[in-house]
Amino acid sequence: MSRAASTYAVPSYNATPDLSVKGVPPSLLSPEGSRLDGRLPHECRPAYMKTGAVNAAAGSAYAEFGQTKVIVSVYGPRESKKAQAFSDIGRLNCDVKFASFSTSVRGKASQGMEEKEYTGMLHKALECAVALHTFPKTTVDVFALILQSGGGDLAVVISCASMALADAGIVMYDLVPAVSLSCTGSEVLLDASMEEERWGDGGMIVAAMTSRNEITQLTMTGEWPSTKVSEALQLCLDACLKLAELMRSCLKEQVVAGGQ
Amino acid sequence: MRGLQFELESGQQRRVSKAQERLKDAAGSVHAAAFVNVGDTIQVDHEAGFLRGHGTQVVNGELLATVCGIVERVNKLVSVRPLRAKYNPETGDVVVGRITEVAPKRWKVDVNCRQDAQLMLSAVNLPGGIQRRRTAVDELNMRSLYEENDIISAEVQSLYQDGSLHLHTRSLKYGKLENGQLVTVAPYLIKRLKQHFHHLKQYGVDLILGCNGYVWIAAPSESGKSSVSDTPMDLSNDHGSEMSSKRSTTLIPSAQEDGKRDLSDDDKVRDSITRELRERICRLANAVRVLAALGLLIFVESIIDTYEVSLSWDTAVKDMLAAEFCIKIVEREAEHRDKKELAI
Repeated sequence: MSRAASTYAVPSYNATPDLSVKGVPPSLLSPEGSRLDGRLPHECRPAYMKTGAVNAAAGSAYAEFGQTKVIVSVYGPRESKKAQAFSDIGRLNCDVKFASFSTSVRGKASQGMEEKEYTGMLHKALECAVALHTFPKTTVDVFALILQSGGGDLAVVISCASMALADAGIVMYDLVPAVSLSCTGSEVLLDASMEEERWGDGGMIVAAMTSRNEITQLTMTGEWPSTKVSEALQLCLDACLKLAELMRSCLKEQVVAGGQ
Repeated sequence: MRGLQFELESGQQRRVSKAQERLKDAAGSVHAAAFVNVGDTIQVDHEAGFLRGHGTQVVNGELLATVCGIVERVNKLVSVRPLRAKYNPETGDVVVGRITEVAPKRWKVDVNCRQDAQLMLSAVNLPGGIQRRRTAVDELNMRSLYEENDIISAEVQSLYQDGSLHLHTRSLKYGKLENGQLVTVAPYLIKRLKQHFHHLKQYGVDLILGCNGYVWIAAPSESGKSSVSDTPMDLSNDHGSEMSSKRSTTLIPSAQEDGKRDLSDDDKVRDSITRELRERICRLANAVRVLAALGLLIFVESIIDTYEVSLSWDTAVKDMLAAEFCIKIVEREAEHRDKKELAI
């Protein structure tokens, strides 16, 4: 076992409130090889996405991946605040919030750290996908609200945010589908649920621009067997490709159904 | 139906989808085919070559879209027009905007654009066509012309590389707007036409269709023109005392003038708007809102048409934003397009 290098120093990805509970990890795979919720190890959760969820926003999207529910609204491009220094390219301002009822332990105390961490990571994942030079001196605000935290929150937030940006008509190089993955012992579980993440040794999040074959963000945390890393990365990229297709068909559907 | 929120009963839902089907038949499936997402490959003729327009990028020789929208081709130029984007200004556009800030020698105006537009002090017409003298005093008195949160109409004077734009109000028809209602719609619903200022004689209402998606519906101003033409601006103290007596008809008296008369003038204007006129303004505003929510183009004829239809159906002003009226409008639109189709 070797500790893999991580691109982003994160103390613990997805620290659920009761992580401190020690115990014997339950068997995450049944003898037949299916997971707790009946999926195969390399199967994603059922996803539902919809744009135009917030009326007041320039663009918005709602996403539901299994138990994880997220809503993202995008405002702008609009005039930058006075206090900010002059910049001749645009600015991307991200903010991720947990709804107070989103986690099993109610309240903000346990969520403050994660909010900050997710905010930074969302910004890093999106900033190279948005063509910032097309809106000089202005700001695009991306506000994400996690309505229910059910595992793989950040990946869902990133995917949903890129949909909202596309809905707002902001110039981007590509959509940014993101997929998370959890490594438990010798098994890699794609798109892990909260229960699986809790018992996982290591986690990985990949955000990619699939039509350009570029990764915008790769985050690895925890303990990884060196043999598993490339397999996990390949799995994530494949899942990103499929997710991108889903996002595209969803965006198109909205146009055909909504605009007459 | 973006922007309006109501629950549809199952019967109504069926009618909506039926009307939508008919609309789709009439419009053909052209639009659905021309729609691209961010990152989608746009089919181009590589042999003949192509020119990369707005909303596109070239990756490994392939042309990809950078916004969600409709592909437009002009000869070799391929561009993508985004569906829902901010207002894209062009020189000469008539816009309606709101003053957000009074800055040194300029006003900042919100015109639904990426950045706030700038209205320079040197780009406004002073009352009575007096030559502006570049003194410190007239800079101090800028607020007597336009204050924060005032709504004005203006024309786009020039665009700059960094995305900023300058406005001017150097004509009698531009200036401060009062006694009316502002309706905000998506900018793409308003097409650039020869005429954006309208006086609807039959209703006695003024209508300004700003290219930026701001629609102004108001009671006609006294002179039939914008009030700015006779707005005083204190140029210098020595002139002020002589001229203020002549400016008794003004709507916005200068700071030095009597505050009481200011009030009574204002009251007079507000009182002169009758209940019937207010209702007509509201009905027109709701007609615009309904058209915007249904994604139908907004121009004078379509607004008047919707207004008249609402009258003939005996719809109350407040009911115009309810589901039933919207569905009826959609069905009517579908019928119209069907007829057009047949005529062709």
